[in-house]
Amino acid sequence: MDISETKQGIYKSKGGLIRSFVSIEDGMIKEITISGDFFMFPEEAIFKILGQLKGTPANREEIQKNIEAIYQKEGIQSPGTAPSDFTESIMKALEV
Amino acid sequence: MEEWRFIDFGLVDIRDMMAMDEAILKGDGGNTFFFWTPKKSIILGFFQKADVELDLTRCRDYTITRRISGGGIAFSDERCRQINYGVVGTIDNELFPLDIIESYKQICGVLIDTLVHYGLNAAFRPINDIVVDNKKISGNAQTRWEGKLLQNGTLLLDFDIEEMLRISNIPKEKFLDKKIASIREGLTWLDRELGEQRDMEEVKDIIKKKFEERFHIRLKTAALTREERDLTNNLLPKYYSHEWVYR
Repeated sequence: MDISETKQGIYKSKGGLIRSFVSIEDGMIKEITISGDFFMFPEEAIFKILGQLKGTPANREEIQKNIEAIYQKEGIQSPGTAPSDFTESIMKALEV
Repeated sequence: MEEWRFIDFGLVDIRDMMAMDEAILKGDGGNTFFFWTPKKSIILGFFQKADVELDLTRCRDYTITRRISGGGIAFSDERCRQINYGVVGTIDNELFPLDIIESYKQICGVLIDTLVHYGLNAAFRPINDIVVDNKKISGNAQTRWEGKLLQNGTLLLDFDIEEMLRISNIPKEKFLDKKIASIREGLTWLDRELGEQRDMEEVKDIIKKKFEERFHIRLKTAALTREERDLTNNLLPKYYSHEWVYR
């Protein structure tokens, strides 16, 4: 995705910096990508999180609930970074 | 005493090295400790976007690739005074703890023991850094695959901090000078700490010895296996591809 046309949110968790790039359409997340120096096992699960978030209502509760669901399903471990940290980064993008 | 494999890849192209790195994790070579020194290059962490993290117009003479583990950019300038290491081990909950932070701590302990050998005040700073007097001297990154772990890390002997700042995508107008100053003050390297240049081979020998002591094993030099070489050849196109690096 072309990040120049999205809003950016930056949030630093204990495990690293999370930069979110988000575009919104009709109150839903249309496109989203994340860049950062955090850790996540398995790594590929990030794509499942991003896929899940597309089409999710752009509010804190829905975003966090959806991230947590993927954490559960994929057995994600991310030392120093929690679903709430990703949510915070995305919310910062939405507040821009 | 148990023997583990040891390999010193020397000065390498990081695209080739990252392919071998993944091949050692996924191959049949068993527990392995290895060294390499990267040529002028930038390795992105798995979750980093090149155009977000780098000022790409200033990176044209750098080789850029991505690794399979998370964490931040590994930047290597043309001085080539960095010792990079890799460890592949079966997670046995003794030598290689299941707990992620504990396993970082165990492996980083090898470099800490080395720095202490040189009289430095080295410590582990969770999640993945080693510091000397609270300044980062080593960054480390781990991934896991089918009951095994792969940890890569670097020990800086010398480092061109101004060059790293030059190619990094730090929005200069937004970030305060304070932020840049904290990056400058937050990093250090062995030559600076010791006030003299040590021979890289000598430092590697100490690390190797500290590794053997910490893991109670003997390191024995051996080459990649046939399977690992085949895996490497299959993985090389990925590490050279635009899709992998600039996704």
